[in-house]
Amino acid sequence: MAQVLAMILAGGRVGELDVLTFFRPKSVVPYGGLYRIIDFPMSNLMHSDIENVGILSQYRPFELISHIANGEPWDMMGRQRRAVILPPFQGRGSSDWYKGTADAVYQNIDFIRLNDPEIVIVLSGDHIYRMDYRKLIEFHIEKKADFTVAFTRVSPQGSSRFGLASIEDEDSRGGRVTEYKEKPKSSNLEWASLTIYVFKTDLLISALTDNATNTSHEFGKDIIPMLLKKHRVYGYKHTGYWGYTRTIDEYYHTSMDILGCRPKVDIRSWELRTNMANDSIRDRKPAFVGPSAEIEDSFFYCGCSIEGTVKRSILFPGVSVEKGAVVEDSILFFDSTVKAGARVMRTITDSACTVSAHADIGDPADKLTVIGMDTMVPENIRIEGGVSVHPKLKATAFQKTRYVAGEVIQ
Amino acid sequence: MRNLAAILLAGGVGSRLNILVRHRAKPAVPFGGIYRIIDFTLSNIGNSSMTSVAVLTQYKPLSLMDHIGDGSSWDMSGRSRSVKIFPPKTGEADWDWYRGTADAVRQNIAFVNSATSDEIMILSGDHVYRMDYRDMVSFHRKKGARVTIATIPVAWEETHQFGTAVIDDSSRIVEWEEKSPRAKSNLASMGIYVFDRKYLIALLTESKEDDFGHHIIPRALEEKVVYAYPFDGYWRDVGTIQAYWDANMDILDSSSGINPGSWRIMTNINAGGPLYDRPPVSVAGRAHIKRSIVSPGCTIEGRVENSVLSPGVVVKAGASVRNSIIMHDCIIGEGAQLERTIVDKEVLVGTRAMIGIGDPGIANAEHPKHLYSGLTVIGKRTVIPDGISIGTNCIIDPMLHAPVFPTEVKSGTSVTCSKP
Repeated sequence: MAQVLAMILAGGRVGELDVLTFFRPKSVVPYGGLYRIIDFPMSNLMHSDIENVGILSQYRPFELISHIANGEPWDMMGRQRRAVILPPFQGRGSSDWYKGTADAVYQNIDFIRLNDPEIVIVLSGDHIYRMDYRKLIEFHIEKKADFTVAFTRVSPQGSSRFGLASIEDEDSRGGRVTEYKEKPKSSNLEWASLTIYVFKTDLLISALTDNATNTSHEFGKDIIPMLLKKHRVYGYKHTGYWGYTRTIDEYYHTSMDILGCRPKVDIRSWELRTNMANDSIRDRKPAFVGPSAEIEDSFFYCGCSIEGTVKRSILFPGVSVEKGAVVEDSILFFDSTVKAGARVMRTITDSACTVSAHADIGDPADKLTVIGMDTMVPENIRIEGGVSVHPKLKATAFQKTRYVAGEVIQ
Repeated sequence: MRNLAAILLAGGVGSRLNILVRHRAKPAVPFGGIYRIIDFTLSNIGNSSMTSVAVLTQYKPLSLMDHIGDGSSWDMSGRSRSVKIFPPKTGEADWDWYRGTADAVRQNIAFVNSATSDEIMILSGDHVYRMDYRDMVSFHRKKGARVTIATIPVAWEETHQFGTAVIDDSSRIVEWEEKSPRAKSNLASMGIYVFDRKYLIALLTESKEDDFGHHIIPRALEEKVVYAYPFDGYWRDVGTIQAYWDANMDILDSSSGINPGSWRIMTNINAGGPLYDRPPVSVAGRAHIKRSIVSPGCTIEGRVENSVLSPGVVVKAGASVRNSIIMHDCIIGEGAQLERTIVDKEVLVGTRAMIGIGDPGIANAEHPKHLYSGLTVIGKRTVIPDGISIGTNCIIDPMLHAPVFPTEVKSGTSVTCSKP
């Protein structure tokens, strides 16, 4: 196979994820009861034998840095293998924060040259999917493409937030891109960009260099339209599962897709890896299910202790659901505790939250409630659906006994 | 005590564990879902901030060596931290298998010589307990001992299995009996020793005796330099099937005193497993799980009660697992029922198989001392046929397939490869 270098755009915060991205970039938001979102591209790369990876970080990188560590969790450690974090840096002449996806890669052109690959694959650390990038690269080489973008089919209605394209049917895998529009208000285009890009290295460097003098530096908005004019740009049709996580609702639905007897996506078969040393996952004892527990259609992991009722929910390592507590349709991150008699419905709690005894959180049929990390929700409180609770709040920060949809507790 | 060195004797056969040790040494027997027995000693070493361990292996060491790896699972790897594995080796004599505990240490006297600590610890990898070895070494120094043995009171009827100590008011051992049928004391040795390093070297070079309990300790006793370190926490020699099952069941009982989580027991999560991280436990539909340990990668659709499940176990719909220990990657078929059964790794239990149901009073005919209390044991990678009925106190060998099974395996009988 050709020498391939992967660059993962993993530094963005994504404001729509609200309190979940106060202290971490989106790429390390926990997902699926064990993983972080970036585990999906990292595991895909590992299974695709791509073992040289640059990870572009910017927003609050600490969790990302400790999660990626030395690359060893994905076997990307060795003489010929590595995963390195590339933060923004000060140069001799100019220095700046990354000013866009294309600029982030542009500022690391030296890193690309140093690796001297034939092909650069640019990924984002934002999506839940499984893809063998070797097939994508094989397609790219076979079609003698200069630049290949992966797409998934969407219904034209309501897809105005994506980059949309029309692709020729050269074969079942895809063909030449004949038209591309970034976030059009309306269009009849039905292939949405997955923000997975395969470049010939020379073309990537020249395109980024040309773009550097512009005021906007995005792959979707600037680079694709620019290259479409003069180069062989191909579209690769991804047909498997594709999970978005850009908003709280999307994140929630993409999470719930893994549950049940016939889940939309059986991620258990995806052979994922994560960093088992992060959050000391590996040193936790196996889950204990107590004599009074009731569990239905749920995921849980080591360190969990379940004495109450858990239905259609995802519990990360270290979650404790005490006797008489009820958790339904919810996602509880690492080390959250639901005390005796509390009720948690359609709620996402970030790591190390405590829901005190007889608190009543969320609504079975309403908007999601989200609680930031390390917050202590006091006893006997009622927080309805659609409330956002800030991280690191003490029980005394809750002034009222009832909060309704749309309120933000801070 | 960074430079405190330890020798871990991990060569024991543990033959009373029967088919559980057919292909592995006792310290490598899986325990408590995700652990192996040796994890308790290795974690105690790591948690006592010790940095140098020699593991002496002998019997079927492969899975043990794989499990220990480079020691990093217990934070025992780094510039000045190491776990070294010492298998028996040929020396000056032609035949140099370890003949006993003291002989094993003597054959690796180079490790003892090269240690830099004043004391050296001799440990075994056979027991389930937590101890901060630094406390024991502090006791050793305070008493001015040259040998200290950790001791625990055991039931009088069990004293014949142990070395037992009679002590004076200062905890000095005044009399020592090795596996005596009528012991004078029920204070039993836990197989944990602190030696003054130079004294140990002298003891081992002065004689050619093979065993600590039988030979070395009695000799040191004559010099009045041996003390008993009192231990009163949870400690089990899981050397029999019954003791192994009891200790696993103890984890389900928070009042039993065993708690691998708060004890900070570490294990090697990679060895022998898949090349990916085990996914979370998946409960699909309305499973029924009560009072059980469930490890990563398990999929539960049926009933699990009072049981310990290792990673990757699948309990299909309508299946029922009660009072049982199921090791890695077993599949319990639809409608199967297991009661008081220990199932080794990668066993497939056919649909509607009934296992462990019958009169618990009929001890196993071939191994009445191994299986007498109603437990049934199934060996690694065996395929249990659909619809079969297997009684209590049965031993089903590893790697068996359907043709060797009768339609019913009666209580107290065994199925081995040689039977039709």
